[in-house]
Amino acid sequence: MLSTKTLLLPFISVAAIASSANANDQIKIVGSSTVYPFTSYVAEEFGATTGNKTPVVESTGTGGGMKLFCAGVGSNTPDFTNASRPMKVAEFEICQENGVKNIVGMKVGYDGVAIAQNKDNEALDLTLEQLFLALAQEVPSKDGKSLVANPYKKWSDIDNTLPNREIKMIGAPSTSGTRDSFDEMVMEHASKSFPVYNGEPYKKIRTDGVYIPGGENDNLIVQKLAQDKDAMGYFGYSFLEENRDKIKGVTLNGVEPNAKNISSGEYPIARSIFIYMKKDHMGKTKGLEEFIKLYSSEAMTGENGVLKTIGLIPMPSDEHKLTQETIKSLAVITPEMVKAGLTNPAK
Amino acid sequence: MKNDYFYIPQIEKRNAKAKRFHILVSSAIITTMAFLFFFLFTIIKEGIPAFKQSYIQVDIEITQELVENPYAINATLDKDIAKFISRSWTRSLPSQIEKNPDWIGKTVSLSALTNADVDQYLKGNNHKLSQDQQQKLDKMYEDGIIEFKFNKIFFTTGDSKIPENAGFFSAMVGSVLTMLVTMLIAVPIGLMTAIYLEEFAPDNKFTQFIEININNLAAIPSILFGLLGLAIFINFFGVPRSTPFVGGLTLALMSLPIIIVSAKAALKTVPESIRQAGIGLGLTKWQITRDHVFPLALPGMLTGSIIALAQALGETAPLIIVGMIAFVPDASTSIFNAATVMPAQIYTWSGMPEGMYIEKTSAAIMLLLGVLLSLNAIAIYLRKKFQPKW
Amino acid sequence: MTAQSIFLLFLGGLVPLMFIAYIIGKNKALKMIQCGHKTHSQATQYGWFSALYTGLPVILVMVAGVLASLFGVDAIPKPMLIVVALVVGVVALLVIQKSITKDTKARDNIESLIKGVLLFATFISVLTTFGILFSIVFEAFHFFQRESFWHFITGTQWDPDTAFLEGASRDASMAAAAKFGAVPIFAGTFYITFIAMLVAVPLGVLGAIFMSEYASSKIRNTIKPLLEILAGIPTVVYGFFAAITVAPILVNLFAKFGLSASYESALGAGIVMGIMIVPIIASLSDDVISSVPQKTKNGALALGMTKAETIKFVTLPSAMPGIIASVLLGVSRALGETMIVVMAASLRPNLTWNPLEDMTTVTVKIVEALTGDQEFNSSLTLSAFALGLILFVVTLVINIISVQTIRSFHKKYKISTL
Repeated sequence: MLSTKTLLLPFISVAAIASSANANDQIKIVGSSTVYPFTSYVAEEFGATTGNKTPVVESTGTGGGMKLFCAGVGSNTPDFTNASRPMKVAEFEICQENGVKNIVGMKVGYDGVAIAQNKDNEALDLTLEQLFLALAQEVPSKDGKSLVANPYKKWSDIDNTLPNREIKMIGAPSTSGTRDSFDEMVMEHASKSFPVYNGEPYKKIRTDGVYIPGGENDNLIVQKLAQDKDAMGYFGYSFLEENRDKIKGVTLNGVEPNAKNISSGEYPIARSIFIYMKKDHMGKTKGLEEFIKLYSSEAMTGENGVLKTIGLIPMPSDEHKLTQETIKSLAVITPEMVKAGLTNPAK
Repeated sequence: MKNDYFYIPQIEKRNAKAKRFHILVSSAIITTMAFLFFFLFTIIKEGIPAFKQSYIQVDIEITQELVENPYAINATLDKDIAKFISRSWTRSLPSQIEKNPDWIGKTVSLSALTNADVDQYLKGNNHKLSQDQQQKLDKMYEDGIIEFKFNKIFFTTGDSKIPENAGFFSAMVGSVLTMLVTMLIAVPIGLMTAIYLEEFAPDNKFTQFIEININNLAAIPSILFGLLGLAIFINFFGVPRSTPFVGGLTLALMSLPIIIVSAKAALKTVPESIRQAGIGLGLTKWQITRDHVFPLALPGMLTGSIIALAQALGETAPLIIVGMIAFVPDASTSIFNAATVMPAQIYTWSGMPEGMYIEKTSAAIMLLLGVLLSLNAIAIYLRKKFQPKW
Repeated sequence: MTAQSIFLLFLGGLVPLMFIAYIIGKNKALKMIQCGHKTHSQATQYGWFSALYTGLPVILVMVAGVLASLFGVDAIPKPMLIVVALVVGVVALLVIQKSITKDTKARDNIESLIKGVLLFATFISVLTTFGILFSIVFEAFHFFQRESFWHFITGTQWDPDTAFLEGASRDASMAAAAKFGAVPIFAGTFYITFIAMLVAVPLGVLGAIFMSEYASSKIRNTIKPLLEILAGIPTVVYGFFAAITVAPILVNLFAKFGLSASYESALGAGIVMGIMIVPIIASLSDDVISSVPQKTKNGALALGMTKAETIKFVTLPSAMPGIIASVLLGVSRALGETMIVVMAASLRPNLTWNPLEDMTTVTVKIVEALTGDQEFNSSLTLSAFALGLILFVVTLVINIISVQTIRSFHKKYKISTL
């Protein structure tokens, strides 16, 4: 006959396996692909230096990230969301409705898009409007009253002070964050200066081969620029910085793309980027506060912080101090702040 | 010759033609083989340097302050040398000091990981160092202050945004977990299906339909299995994205038809006389299958399963669709935590801007090919060794 | 409670329960045997019978509960479900113990249960096919509700930017309507496949002729494993090779002739894809050519044909259906191949005859649409499923034709594989 012990054995072993299945103590981050590389870097640093698990960072886009973030509170929802623009009032309201009441916002810094060409070319200065005319699907006709399919093949067709060079722009595919920035800050912005668009943003890019989506591999764009003197390309500012030996920047409205001009706002294709945190998750997910503090630290987002080396354009030091104070006090954002597009409470 | 009754005037021409044809077909094989060797040569040439990594000897005064802020060492070191050291090494200083508390208050000579630029310069690749720095490095290399060591990091860490700190370990763990799920699901179901179809199924329209269906399933492009995984497992059943579980499930469905087809072939090789002998002894079908047919077909079935799993191990497309390309530096500890797998890591690294990732990608490819080749070799060995001969 | 712990708790209840059932069933049978009854089956079979028929209702209840909660009946809490399932198991155990007599056909019952389980396993592969079909058709249907099917298969403009903006919850009011004309994508797919076949068919078929007709067994035994290595290289590796090594070589090569080739040219992706397909065509064609009966060949040789003539006029024509089938399989592989084109071809739909230009394919667009920043319900994401549907149908048709051809070939020469 079998003893009770043998009968119990399977119970015990299976129960032991069951109890080892533990709860999830990992931070979850979603949101913009523009902010993704910076947040992943901080996440890695966080995992390597604090003994916490490395947060999982997923690129879902700013809008998609907000949707997930505002879906509610709980272990199945993300703790942070990255955003390449401030949170909208509508999104804030959805958040409130779903019980995500206390949100801490942090400005990460600035993101700039550089336009570059082969190093051996002559220096080139463009205006946003010229860039728009070169790349839009439909442009204002000669009399400026109607829209016609983009006829420009050479830069000199647009303005005869520009070089007699084929227009050829290699850029990001429509799914990337850089393309997102470019559409918003060049196309939308410039279209407002042409009355024929009625002041509405136009961001359709031509598809007749003049604009070449370059794929996710920005290195290939640089390689192509090094080979093809006609071509121009755009990518995150860091790529220009890294490859100054092969390519050089195109100035916009006479402003050189460099860190100083971007953080001062003088360079036109740059914008602020943010990360938002659910304060309600503090105490539920391990390490939330440590993570955001690390993110706001001098070593990360400060003027000489390490994120600068991977393409972030840091805030000026007084603004960074203000941000650090907000994070230190974990001040939540208010409807007024959301309306103004701010994350730091007014003094 | 002319008097030869069998002489055919065109024979020389025809023979020459035959010879040309021989050369033509041989050249086809030679071209294919040349490509294979060119390919292996390029990958190995690119990948070999990744197995060594340059380290720099530095003397550091260890203070309590360094535990709080390891980056303070940059101020104490020579300015250029501080620039040569990898950040990932600096940030690991506190944990190193914790392991060696007796260091505090002393000046210790440590071997510090250099950053990607230094490493790439010394290996003769693209770098961003100034002329001045290059001369300094050359000097230090001659003096032995900088030296190459075996790249342990590559085998112990996961993905990293710092190229010199990027390793393949997490991806290997992820692959093991994913394969575990695939194996546990696909092999039993596959073998059971094969056994049913070969041993139990009546020969009717329905069975034929299933057989055709399985053959077609084997030819469906792998990316469509990714669509299935996304629509059914993730969106419908709510299985968490990017996890070995969902990846393993998707790959399991993909390798199922391959396992079934090879297992059926293995069952077919078992002679009919064995089954008839079983029936003669009054055994049930299940008893015959379990005790006689199955053990005899097992080596063949295992071979097929291993080959199918090896194929799944190298598969990327469906895994991209179910999100297994997230940035995951830590090795996953459970099949429900986000992970990345070997081929997916190869894919993400190949798109990275820094040159150092290219050699790491090639090295990763060498490892992956190594694993796949050994799996196939094991399969072939199993088949040769255990396949019964009739 | 996570799914994991639920599963383990469930197992923690089920396994011991079945174990107990086994012990009880076996002991009962042993007792009957000891009492001198002649039982229908052996004692262990009674054990298995009672264990299996105790476990079955538990699993069925559990599966039913999980399915119910998936379809919206979320009233049953998971721990409760486990308890209910296990109680059902205990009841089943009691009923079975009662019903076991010396005439119980334990062995036959096990047999039919096992047959049922095997049949169920067989259904999974059928379910997979239907799962793929269903999920793709369902989402593609959503897509075609919004976009015209006719325009999808005949339109020449693929221009989904606006759908992308909507999907990323951004303002798209002024941007012109998205255009989903997939012809350039199909054209790119077929063109790259065509280039791949230009490489793979000659190399594969001629290679197969070499192996089956010319190679000594020693050479054959070296080449076969090498071809298998080539076949076993993961496609992501081919993709890396195409992008990093082959593309620059081609660009430099054509630059020498004054031609400008794109780094993402159709030619580069096509050549590497062709190499990938060579072993598929070679090994299938080799099988087919080798199975042409020696008698036929001998006949030709006896009539004074040279070896090359025998191959050209006798062997190849007989093997042709099989060779065509293997080429078709290669085509279907090329059409569905993803990683090589994702890494080495471009994202731009481009309708052109110039192989040096960049082109995109169906699979590239599927990957692009599903890894970007947009929500699942945007037209752009759904377009991946519409493209997937076309890919599914095309590869399925090609495969059916190919299998039919090879089957008729086998019938002709009375070979009983496949």
